[in-house]
Amino acid sequence: MSSFQILKLEYSACVEALTDALRAGDEAAFFAAVDHIVHMREPGMFKELRQLTGDLQKALERFSIESRLQDIAENEIPDARARLTHVINMTDEAAHRTLDLVEQSGPLAERTSQEAAALIESFEKLKDRATGTPNYESVLQSIEGLLPLVKSVEKFLPSARSNSELIRRNLADVLMAQGYQDLTGQIIRSVMKLVEELESALSNLARLSGDVVEHATMGESASKGQGPAVPGVSKGEIASGQTDVDALLSGLGM
Amino acid sequence: MSKDMKFLVVDDFSTMRRIVKNLLHDLGYPNVTEADDGKTALPMLQAGAFDFLISDWNMPGMSGLDLVKAVRSDAKLAKLPVLMLTAEAKREQIIEAAQAGVNGYVIKPFTAETLKEKLDKILGTLAK
Repeated sequence: MSSFQILKLEYSACVEALTDALRAGDEAAFFAAVDHIVHMREPGMFKELRQLTGDLQKALERFSIESRLQDIAENEIPDARARLTHVINMTDEAAHRTLDLVEQSGPLAERTSQEAAALIESFEKLKDRATGTPNYESVLQSIEGLLPLVKSVEKFLPSARSNSELIRRNLADVLMAQGYQDLTGQIIRSVMKLVEELESALSNLARLSGDVVEHATMGESASKGQGPAVPGVSKGEIASGQTDVDALLSGLGM
Repeated sequence: MSKDMKFLVVDDFSTMRRIVKNLLHDLGYPNVTEADDGKTALPMLQAGAFDFLISDWNMPGMSGLDLVKAVRSDAKLAKLPVLMLTAEAKREQIIEAAQAGVNGYVIKPFTAETLKEKLDKILGTLAK
């Protein structure tokens, strides 16, 4: 028996009932016949749906395993964001520390320069007064070592003045250079925003496949090298300073 | 313009605020107040008698551009001199800032000389 003959056998009775009801104008009988036909078709439809769902799950499963999607979305991207935040905080601290020192050192250099200038002026005045005094040098020579000392102080003062002025100018440049913290910070923030968007897109995809996949997390390989430790991100114990490192190494017999 | 002019420096990065504050101090303007975005700055401007506003553009909360627009639409602040100090360097942004009513625009990274030059220019124009 061909498949169409089977169909004919299955459906002819209800199709006839449908036609009869239509002809007789019997609404109740018509819908009853339609319902009957629909019920006959449903098992096949559900079978197809199940097949489709299975295929979809398999596809998502394959996708998830191949791309490590879930791990990236759930662990690595939040980690990456925390690392970037840490970079901003570190540069912020370093820049403020530098600014602290600039603010402390600038006035010192300025004061040195002003005091040197004042002393130079005093020397000039002294010399002016001494011009009429023929024994100026001999007075200085009367105490052993005084003349060479005065001469070297006189020589030192102008260079003390110009050096501290140079230091002050350099400190002003150091101040300006700290602007890098703002600029790099802004760039990092924009990258973080992008990463955040990526994260939510990936999480949505991962959630779709999450139910079917028992996810295997990739172990971080310490031998690969991970760069500086990032608080709250780096896994395992982190040495808090050189003392910790030394203690650890000496514990290992080094 | 007198040296006791009151400046408000608005930037979300505290390092940048500190740099500008130091520069202003070196230029002889020791009266400098800070704010970290437009939202914080606007009520300060409305409450305090500030003579000059230096603002960043890209800030969370209220951006510098929105702050300039708010300043210009406030009758009491409409004439406040504003210098935009920002890393935003696109042509259309500079035009947008100019249309919003900034008096000057300095691109980061900048030098102390550039800041001084723009300040002097703005203050010179005002003095006329």
